[in-house]
Amino acid sequence: MLIEELDILKNTVLGEIDLIQYSERKKLADIRVRVFGKNGTLTLISKGMRDVEPQDRPRVGALINEVRNAIENSLAMKENQFKNQELNEKLENEKIDITEPAKCQSKGAVHPISDVIDKMIDICVKMGFSVVEGPEVESDYYNFEAMNIPKNHPSRDMQDTFFINDNILLRSQTSAVQAREMEIRKPPFKIICPGKTYRNDSDSTHSPIFHQLEGLVIDENVSMADLKSMLTILMKRLFGEDTTIRFRPSFFPFTEPSIEVDVSCPTCHGKGCSLCKSTGMLELLGAGIVNPKVLEISGIDSKKYRGFAFGFGLDRTAMILNSIGNIKYLYKNDIRFLDQMK
Amino acid sequence: MKITYNWLKEMVDINISPEELAKKLTDAGMEVEEICYQNKHLHHVVVGKIIKIEKHPEADRLVVCKVDIGNGVVTQIITAATNVFEGAVVPVSLEGADLVNGIKISKTKMRGVESFGMFCSGEELGIDENYFEGAGVNGILILPKDLKSGTAIEDALMLNDVVFDINITPNRSDCMSVIGIAREVCALLGKDLKKINLNYDIDVYSKDVVRNFVNVEINTTNCFRYMAAAITNLKIERSPLWLRARLNAVGIKPINTMVDITNYVLIEMGQPLHAFDKDNIKGQQINVRQAVKGEKIVALNHNEYELNEDIMVIADNSQPMVIAGVIGGVDSCITDNTSTCILESAIFDLKSIRITSRNIGVRTDSSARYEKGVNVANAEMGLARALHLVSKLKCGKVARGVIDICNKKNEAREIVCSVKLINDILGIEVPVSEMTRILNSLGIETKATGDKLCCKVPPYREDIENDYDLAEEIIRLYGYYHYDDIEYNLFDKASVTEGKNHPRLSLEREMRKSLIEQGFYENISYSLVAEDINKKLMLDEDENKIVKIANPISEDISCMRTSLAHSLFQNINYNLSVGNKNMRMFECGRIYKAKSIPLNELPIEQNLLAIAVCEEGFDFFNLKGVVEKLLSFTSADYSIKRSSKPFLHPGVSADILCNGNVIGSFGKIHPIVAQNYDNPEYVFYAEIDTEFLAELPVKVMKVKAISKYPIVERDLAVIVEETVTCEQLLETIKSACGKLYFSVALFDIYRSANVGNGKKSMAFKIKLSDLEKTLTDDEVNAVMKKVLKALTFKHGAVLR
Repeated sequence: MLIEELDILKNTVLGEIDLIQYSERKKLADIRVRVFGKNGTLTLISKGMRDVEPQDRPRVGALINEVRNAIENSLAMKENQFKNQELNEKLENEKIDITEPAKCQSKGAVHPISDVIDKMIDICVKMGFSVVEGPEVESDYYNFEAMNIPKNHPSRDMQDTFFINDNILLRSQTSAVQAREMEIRKPPFKIICPGKTYRNDSDSTHSPIFHQLEGLVIDENVSMADLKSMLTILMKRLFGEDTTIRFRPSFFPFTEPSIEVDVSCPTCHGKGCSLCKSTGMLELLGAGIVNPKVLEISGIDSKKYRGFAFGFGLDRTAMILNSIGNIKYLYKNDIRFLDQMK
Repeated sequence: MKITYNWLKEMVDINISPEELAKKLTDAGMEVEEICYQNKHLHHVVVGKIIKIEKHPEADRLVVCKVDIGNGVVTQIITAATNVFEGAVVPVSLEGADLVNGIKISKTKMRGVESFGMFCSGEELGIDENYFEGAGVNGILILPKDLKSGTAIEDALMLNDVVFDINITPNRSDCMSVIGIAREVCALLGKDLKKINLNYDIDVYSKDVVRNFVNVEINTTNCFRYMAAAITNLKIERSPLWLRARLNAVGIKPINTMVDITNYVLIEMGQPLHAFDKDNIKGQQINVRQAVKGEKIVALNHNEYELNEDIMVIADNSQPMVIAGVIGGVDSCITDNTSTCILESAIFDLKSIRITSRNIGVRTDSSARYEKGVNVANAEMGLARALHLVSKLKCGKVARGVIDICNKKNEAREIVCSVKLINDILGIEVPVSEMTRILNSLGIETKATGDKLCCKVPPYREDIENDYDLAEEIIRLYGYYHYDDIEYNLFDKASVTEGKNHPRLSLEREMRKSLIEQGFYENISYSLVAEDINKKLMLDEDENKIVKIANPISEDISCMRTSLAHSLFQNINYNLSVGNKNMRMFECGRIYKAKSIPLNELPIEQNLLAIAVCEEGFDFFNLKGVVEKLLSFTSADYSIKRSSKPFLHPGVSADILCNGNVIGSFGKIHPIVAQNYDNPEYVFYAEIDTEFLAELPVKVMKVKAISKYPIVERDLAVIVEETVTCEQLLETIKSACGKLYFSVALFDIYRSANVGNGKKSMAFKIKLSDLEKTLTDDEVNAVMKKVLKALTFKHGAVLR
């Protein structure tokens, strides 16, 4: 009797478990109570063992165990299956749109001119240059006279200068720091000076305020060839290793010989494009051997020492490095422009 | 400066194209900025003769012309012009012509009749009445009858030259002339300068001698040489076409024989000349002197100028006739009726002319040359060349004698220089033979003996003084391309030096990086501003004296800024105006303040870092966080107090104090300033003195021991009066905790009716720690009791 009961129980419960769907997963717990609970079917059957003949007891006991294990296993299997399914469902529900924007303070950006200054400083400091500064409201003496540009000299026409009065002006070139530094430094030395410069000139390619970087090297026996080597390194570091430079004759009162330095166009690599007007080269620097008169004016023995100097426009360099088409962008500080420097 | 290819060819045998010549000149430092072919718009335009004119069958206003265009070709052209006639010689533009006004010619049909071209007016050929008679009439240009049909119009009208526009550097005033450039061309091509004809016929049959007409005196140190000649029987008329063509090509309007001759010599020889009407020189006296203050002259531009002692004049007995070297006066100049003229060829001190030109605000072709320096020898050549042209044009007779007062020596200078030094300067080896060849080709007679170069520098090369100058002459002709292949390991000659960044720039770099990480955009603004800056920012005018520019471009950039706040508020305003809403900006820049007005010493220039935020929801304490982060890059030991910066909100702003100095301020924009700049009231601004901060000693870290036992955390909320500051409470809590103190932080402020009017509840998180042991509840409670007691005692705090 009991054996039959057990058989039926086993078959019905296992069948029932087998049929339970994920959506009715709570039934598993019901079954557990119904079978194994205090008054559960199997519990009651187990209690019925008392009435079984002693010789039959081991066999019946084993059978009860077998049925219990079978049901337990079946329940566990089903529960496990549902748990996995539940986890998958949870993970699925928690799925997000990973293309939504990031949550954090988004970065700002460096100004393109500062960026060039930073880069030049890093390059030059490694090459042994010290970074110096000078006043922007400068004396006529340092801006002109000490640079071998006496009052009423024709070379003053090369720069439209803003004057405060007869003796004080807004520096028209960072070269104004040369004499200041030569007065206080002992050769050999190498310096660069980045900073603002001013000229009474404003059109589509000129801003009355712009930035220059001046370089000055004073040592014994330096030459135009050294200037070429140094500038080649500087320009390669700034514009890339395939950059080349070329000299052209020019005139500055404070250098002799004086040159303009053309740099191979970083956009087309010398092939010719709209930026370099199909020449493959860009005019970027003025340079030359320091005029011995300039050394003497500032108290450096021109028989013993020689120097070279270079000055270049940072605005134009920033425009080239970042493909900026309009010089006016540089000083408007429009977020839409600056944001592109990220 | 403009000169022409044909003009140069008159002085040098040039066997290369204009383009090749331009390239050579540019490579040698005479930068040719533009090459302009005069005939650019004259192709397919020829001389034609109208043989027959018939009415157009379909149009009343048109006529059909049969035109002989040479080589036996007769073509048909329809015109509406009314000044044509049978037998007229006219310019005919044929198919393919591309005229200066943009008209392109092709054959067309006009009301059913074919037309194979167009007759041209002077304007359509780019010329005017000054250049060619008839070119100014409203209609077709009627050409002289003797022109042969089929002749290219560029040849018929002498519009066949090539014009170079050359940028002459200020050191090469000797090249501001055709002869000057010709000398360079000679050096570049290895040719000799052709002899320039300076011969002229002297009127030996007349008794006239220049000294009978005029006496010259120099009473100033600014005139180095004064030469004068007299020309009688003057015929003032239109100059011949070749002369007009030259002037026209270089952009000078032809006027009449005498004026054209002086202009021709100006361009060709670089010598300014001036012609006086002899009859207008009062007292037959020419006096070169400085003007007397208050003297006046009406110049050829019809403006009256009041003169002063800085201005040199050429005067007669009664008044100034010419502002020396710059511009002539109307009273003494030659007119169509002048019969005898005195021709002046003078040399003045360049500085004097420059000062005069600036003084009266007039620049002329003469002053442009004088102020860069005209060599003393040039006066003689220029005068002779002009007299030669007078003879050639037969427009007057040259009287005997030339007045020549010369106060300045003018000889070739000897410079001895070293071959080694020149090559040391250049850093490449230029052979001695090349050096001597180059210098000799430039007219610098050079002989080499061993290391020595003996150079005889001609007077017109006043720019050459020493080895460096000669090195430049050599290398610019030897060719800078010699440096193209130099590779960069050469800098080993120079000493090794230590590279160091500027301390302030280093500090700024760290701060800028941090700000950028926090969403700030770096600005660079004009340091020139409008004069109302102090007013707009409500700054004290005495304390912030403004440096003003004497010659500003415009009012809005006429002064140096006295605050960065101005720049950033303006930038915010601009950004808002273009639709940018939220923004965080900063700028590292200078402000400028005069020590005294008028400025007699350089002003103070101070470097600051300023930040401005325009962002709804951003508050004072956000800003404080940004500022504190920046200061953490320095060793500054600072405190804050309420700020009195006039452009900040007095209740929502602070000054940063360090070693007794205010080294910065931060806070909300003052509502009135916000109005002045059209900024919203929630704009926040901060500035810190990076110059001061960069000079502080380097930040040194001192790490204290940390306990291995756990931290105990307790919260404490107290109610205090609004006047009690957070800082005061924090200080009290800290000291009451004694040696168990680990940290304290405010985590909540609460205000409500429950708390009481004028009161606030402040909640603190207090952390305690002991190096030696785990703290017991009793120990912690004791400390908390002490803390509360102290808060109550010092600040009237009540436990909430």
